[in-house]
Amino acid sequence: MTERDGFKKPVKVVIDGREIVAEAGEMLLQVALDNGVEIPHYCYHPKLSIDGSCRMCQVKIEKAPKLAISCNTPVADGMVVDTKAGEVVEARKAVMELLLLNHPLDCPICDQAGECYLQDYSFGHGRSEARTTSPRRKGVKRHPIGPRVVFDQERCILCRRCVRFTHEISKTDELRVFGAGDRSRIATSQDRPLDNPYSINVADVCPVGALLSADFHHKRRVWFLEETETVCPTCSNGCNVKIGAFRNRIERLVPRRNDEVNDTWMCDHGRLNYAFVQDETRLREPAIAGREAREPVPVAGPIDYTRDSDGREVRASGPSVDEAIAAAAASLRAAVATYGATSVAVVLTPTLTNEETLLLARLVREELKTPHFALAVPLGLSDDFLIKPEKVANARGARDLGVGPGDGGKDLAGILAACASGEIKVLWVVGSDGLVAAAGLDAVEPAVANLEALLLQDTNRSALTDRATVLVPGCTWAEKDGSMTNHAGRVQRIRPALRPPTGLVADGEIFARMASALRGEAGAPFEPRVAFAEVAKAVPSYVGLEWARLGSRGLAAGQGA
Amino acid sequence: MAARVVTVDRRSLRARGGAFGARAFAKGLSVTWKHFSRNLMGWVRGKPTVATVMFPEEDVVKPAAFRGMPVLVQMDDGKERCVACGLCEWACPVDCISIDPAETPDPIERHPLRFDIDMGRCMFCGLCEEACPEEAIVMSDRVEISAFSRGGIVWNKEDLLVPQDQLARRLDWIRRSYER
Ligand code: SF4
Ligand code: SF4
Ligand code: SF4
Ligand code: SF4
Ligand code: FES
Repeated sequence: MTERDGFKKPVKVVIDGREIVAEAGEMLLQVALDNGVEIPHYCYHPKLSIDGSCRMCQVKIEKAPKLAISCNTPVADGMVVDTKAGEVVEARKAVMELLLLNHPLDCPICDQAGECYLQDYSFGHGRSEARTTSPRRKGVKRHPIGPRVVFDQERCILCRRCVRFTHEISKTDELRVFGAGDRSRIATSQDRPLDNPYSINVADVCPVGALLSADFHHKRRVWFLEETETVCPTCSNGCNVKIGAFRNRIERLVPRRNDEVNDTWMCDHGRLNYAFVQDETRLREPAIAGREAREPVPVAGPIDYTRDSDGREVRASGPSVDEAIAAAAASLRAAVATYGATSVAVVLTPTLTNEETLLLARLVREELKTPHFALAVPLGLSDDFLIKPEKVANARGARDLGVGPGDGGKDLAGILAACASGEIKVLWVVGSDGLVAAAGLDAVEPAVANLEALLLQDTNRSALTDRATVLVPGCTWAEKDGSMTNHAGRVQRIRPALRPPTGLVADGEIFARMASALRGEAGAPFEPRVAFAEVAKAVPSYVGLEWARLGSRGLAAGQGA
Repeated sequence: MAARVVTVDRRSLRARGGAFGARAFAKGLSVTWKHFSRNLMGWVRGKPTVATVMFPEEDVVKPAAFRGMPVLVQMDDGKERCVACGLCEWACPVDCISIDPAETPDPIERHPLRFDIDMGRCMFCGLCEEACPEEAIVMSDRVEISAFSRGGIVWNKEDLLVPQDQLARRLDWIRRSYER
C-alpha cells in the first residue's frame, strides 16, 4: 500500500514475519485482512464504528504488556505482530468457550449454518467438547422483532453490530442492549418493531444466526445456493448484489460490497423484489391475437416447460417467438407503408441492458425512422441514502444512449394523445409497467383502445397484456448478460443467474431478429460482449470502457481513458 | 506428511496369494458340501432343512447392520424426526435426496415439506444416515424398490416414514457403533 492522499504517513509493520506498509491510523485488523492475514473477529465490521466487545481479534504485539485487540489498535511504525503465538491461540479458545457457553445446539435448524462465524471459528479456533454440564440460558426464539426480521435471542453473542447498524447507518436507533451481565439481551426500545427501509441488513451484519431475514427463513440451505454477482434492478442506484438461486429459482438477494455504490448495504424493498421473475404473473408464451391455439392467453406457472403424461418435454401449442416477431414486424411495416413512418411509436421502460437499448435505438432510427420514441420512467419515493426516485435500473443508460423523441417527435404524453386521436396507428411498448406507472392507466386506456395494433414486449402480466395484438415475452434481468448504468453514471455488469423460460430469448435477441425481419435479410445474432463495444463507442463518456474491465464492481463513465 | 515407501516383494505375495486362494477354495467348497449333505440327510429323513428360502413368499430376518433402503424415522406423534437440515442431501454421493424445508408452528420449528429419495439412484451406501445429526434417516431392511413407472421409484416423505419402534434395532445398532 502506498501513500494515498499525501496526508497519511506510511508506516512499516511486521505481521507474522511479513513486512507490510500501511497508513498511520489504520487499524491493525483491517491492515491484516487487506493483506490476506486472517484474524478471527466478530464485532468488527469495516463499515461500522469500532466496538471492541468480542475480544476474538486479540494478537500478540512485541513489547506490549499483554495481548491487544487488533480491531482497535492503530498500526505504528516498527510494530511486530504475531497472530499465531501460543497465548493468542489460547485466548481465542477461551473466547470461543465463553461465547458458546450458552449457545444452543441449533445448527441443524439455523439458517445461518454454512455462513456462520461461530461455526467457522469454532471449527478453526475452538475446542471440540464442552467442559460444562450446567443448563444453558434460555431466551426468546423465533421472535418477529420486525416485519421482515426474525430474532433468536439464544443465538446472540452480543457483538452489537446490529445496534451500531441501526444507530449509524439506518439512523433509526431501534435496537439496543438491555440488561447487564448474564442478562444482557438485544431488544427494541419500547418494543417498537424493527421497521425501517434497511432493516434486513441487520441479518447480514449479524455474524451468527440471531437475526435472520424472515423472507429467507427456513427456505434453503445456503450451501445449495448458486450465487451470481449482479446488480439490483429495483431503482437507479444499482446496488451491487448476489443472487442466490436453487433449481432455477431465486431464493434470495444479498448485497455485496462496492464502496462506490452501496458500501455493503441494500434496501429491503430491493432485496425482496424478485418474485416477479418466477411467480404466476410471468409471461412465458408468445401470443398473436386472433390466432387459434392461444388458449389460455399467456399462461404462467411455476414450471417453465410443459410435460406430457409420460414426462416428455413438449412444446407450447401457441405461436413461437419467431412467429410473433414476424407478426409484429409485418404490422409495423404495413403501418409505415400505408400511413408513413410517423404513424408508429415506440415506448421503452428502461429495464433493459445498455446493449439491448442500443439495438432498439438503432432499430427505431434506422429501420422504423419514426421520431416518436419515448422513455417511460416510473418514479417513487427516495431518501438521501441509497433509494433513488427512478424505479428502474437503467434510465440513465437509456438517456445516455439517446433514447427520446427525434426531430419533431412526441414525448410520452404526446404519443399517448396521438394514439387516442388516431394519429398513431401502431404502438410498440417495451415493458408496460413503466408506461402504466409513468402515464397512469387513465391515459393509457384510451390510447390503446384506438390503435390498429399494440405490440407488447413484456416480462409480466399487466393491465395491457390482454389488449396486445402481438405479445412477445422478454427476459428479466436475472436471465440476462449485459451492462447497466446507474444514476451516477457507473457502468456495471449484470450476469445471468437463471435459464430463461423455455423458448424465450433475451430482449436484445428479439431486437436483432426484429431488425432482420424489418430489413428482410438475416442479421447477426445478439451478443452482449460485442454489443458493448458498440455502446462504448456510441456514448462519448463511455469511450474506452471495456467489457473485461467492468469486472464485478463496474467503472464510472469517463474512467475509460 | 512424509511419504512412506513400502517395498513389496511380489513373488512371495504371489506364493502366499496362491496358498490363500487354495484355502478359500477349500472353505467355499466345504460350505457347499455342508449344505448339500444337510439337505440330503434331511430329504432322506423326510424333514428337509433347506437354507434357501422361497422369496418373496418367505423372508429372512436381516441383521441390524444390514443396509437396505434409507427410510425416515417417524416419532410417536406421527411427525417426522427430520428437521430438513440438508446434511444428508449434501452428503449423498449420487444426489438422490431432494428436500424442501419449511417452517412449522411446532416447538421444533423446521421440517421437510417435501422429502424425496430417488431409489433408482440410491446405492444404499448409508452416508445419509451417517451425516444426519438427528437420527432421522436410517438404513432399513427393505430392498424391494421395483415400480411400474419411473416416478414410482421416487419415494416421497409419506412412503419413507417408518414408526420409530419398528426401527429400534437399527437405531440401537447405530448408537452402539458410534460409541465404539
Ligand atoms: S448461529 Fe451459527 S453456531 Fe449458532 S446455531 Fe446458528 S449456525 Fe449454529
Ligand atoms: S443480534 Fe447478532 S448482530 Fe446483534 S448483537 Fe446479537 S449477535 Fe451481534
Ligand atoms: S444411502 Fe447413500 S445413495 Fe442412498 S440416499 Fe443415502 S447417501 Fe444417498
Ligand atoms: S440429515 Fe437428517 S435431519 Fe437433516 S435433512 Fe437429512 S434426514 Fe433430515
Ligand atoms: S473484533 Fe476486535 S474485539 Fe471484536
